[in-house]
Amino acid sequence: MHIVATSTGAKQKIEIVPVEEGDFKSLRKERYFFDWKQERNFEMYKLRIPESNEILGLISLERIPSEWRVHIRLLTVSSENKGKRKIYDKIAGNLIAFAAKIAVSDYAEMACVSLRPKSQIAQHYIKKYNMTQTGLTLSIEVPEILKLINLYDHDE
Amino acid sequence: MTNKEVQEGYLLEDPEYGLDSRYQSEKESETEAAALMEARLNKIKDLSKQQILYAKLMQLKIRMEGYLKQSVSDDRNYFAEFLESYIDSIYSKRNQFAKDMDITPVNLSQVINNHREPKDEFIKKLMVHSEKVFADVGNFDPKIWYQIYLHEKLCDTMASEEVWKPEIEKHIKYSQSVK
Repeated sequence: MHIVATSTGAKQKIEIVPVEEGDFKSLRKERYFFDWKQERNFEMYKLRIPESNEILGLISLERIPSEWRVHIRLLTVSSENKGKRKIYDKIAGNLIAFAAKIAVSDYAEMACVSLRPKSQIAQHYIKKYNMTQTGLTLSIEVPEILKLINLYDHDE
Repeated sequence: MTNKEVQEGYLLEDPEYGLDSRYQSEKESETEAAALMEARLNKIKDLSKQQILYAKLMQLKIRMEGYLKQSVSDDRNYFAEFLESYIDSIYSKRNQFAKDMDITPVNLSQVINNHREPKDEFIKKLMVHSEKVFADVGNFDPKIWYQIYLHEKLCDTMASEEVWKPEIEKHIKYSQSVK
């Protein structure tokens, strides 16, 4: 998996690993938008460049086995990677693809990743990640979820 | 501007900065889950056999990659388990797989049931077979079969070090001096 430096187009390898207790002191709201301590009871992952301590993106999620579903609760890129001046692109896509990999690993053909975004930004996720809308919830399932994984999960 | 307005401004500037996707109440969560499940069940029943197969193979690939990232030592036989999943996802009869691999059904059965270790040739054939199978599924590195086999061996060997090392040490000498 990799992200792309917006200034040069160069690809940079990344890893997505669980958030550790020691990370919380650096997860300030000004940089990562939310109070991530509130998500301690949920699975939380950080995206970083290998061997680096810089966290470029975060995701918290909930596995719902009875519904073969992984629901994304919170997601953010770090503040320097937002908007038109972002340093790296594809951070959020990699985090969503990571959630998709968990869903497929757990539920195979029944896999589903869901989101419940505010209505103003739903179209962004529908268009960019090929999600479908049911009520307030956006979701991606087989076969689209496999395409999303293939789009992000490679080293070239 | 209120805090809420500031946050919404950021979101409109970049919808991937600060996505709060939590349901606002238990009731909303339940209502949404029911509607989503109904829509999904309709979609799932229309999946083709090929789409289901691709999902199962992707699941296998992700699980194999995940296993390589862990240091696991338990009673499970991971190579054999992954092989079994691989075959049973694709074939209705294991004998057909044996035939396609140009090996005997007995040989295959022994590897799956962990009565025999896979030989080099077996793993090489498996790599070639899976390269063909995964061609349309995506991003599969066939050497992962070797990596699984070696990883399992290494984990098991190191986990049982206390058992084998004392006896081995009795027979090993170091006759050269580096001083």
